Amino acid sequence: MADPNLETDPSSSSATQTSAKTIVAQVALEPGAPSDVDLMLGIQSEDADALSQLYDRYNGIVKALILRIIHNDTEADDLLQEVFMEIWNQAKNFSAEKGKPLGWMVTLTRRRAIDALRKKQAYARAAERLQAEPEQQPLAWVQNMTERDIHAGDTRVLMAKVISSLPEAQQQVIEFAFFQGMSQREIASHTNIPLGTVKTRLELGLKKIYDGLKELKDEL
Amino acid sequence: MSFEEFQNSARLYVIGALEPEELQMFEAARKQYGTQAEDFINQCYGMHEAFALSLKPAKSSNAIKDKLMSMVRERQNQSGAPS
Repeated sequence: MADPNLETDPSSSSATQTSAKTIVAQVALEPGAPSDVDLMLGIQSEDADALSQLYDRYNGIVKALILRIIHNDTEADDLLQEVFMEIWNQAKNFSAEKGKPLGWMVTLTRRRAIDALRKKQAYARAAERLQAEPEQQPLAWVQNMTERDIHAGDTRVLMAKVISSLPEAQQQVIEFAFFQGMSQREIASHTNIPLGTVKTRLELGLKKIYDGLKELKDEL
Repeated sequence: MSFEEFQNSARLYVIGALEPEELQMFEAARKQYGTQAEDFINQCYGMHEAFALSLKPAKSSNAIKDKLMSMVRERQNQSGAPS
């Protein structure tokens, strides 16, 4: 997997063209607040305040993603700090022409969290928990959504709606692939589902999410 | 590989779910479809943001941020950069 913004080589001009077409809307900003790109440019200039603002804006999302992968609050806090330190250290590799800051951060965070998961050999324990999870929490992915959370324009809720519209079987394989970094074979082995079925579920699920996000783009 | 098949593979590729043998075919098709392929792959990365944004933000203690900013400022002092 190679996020264009995590590669060291400059991207092609095509990436510049498509960056404007990015599917997902960002977190709503206060009027006059610096954009994510502004903050990344500030971090590239070693402006600590820019990092502070980026942290305030996204620490909740970044930590949620880490927690979704490693399932341990203390480790998630440690990793949260490491991720933002890496953002500070690697900011020079970010280019707005290659994609949005949040996408870059999410890719970086996911990679770090999956690495941490495997390095700490917590994989087996997490897998056991996940194996039980679908029965206990059929929609664990979009867990804890309360009435208070659901209001028009809430990007998170819209995203969750797209994902939760998938059949459970498709959610499950995407969960394993995206949040646990499992290959198709690992998913097949872990779930005792035939490899071909895993592939089909992944392809169908991801296509629905992709198509759903394209439709959302017009609404956001 | 048709472009539709390439699109299916690209969505797996961006989440790192292609098997090694599929990756070879994907890279060949990527070259074959050129700019059109790169455009599509970049669009697929939008799914990463979507997955993260679909999660309920988690709380962390202020101490994490304090420690982070302390480390950043320490590094700045070491490199002589303005704070």
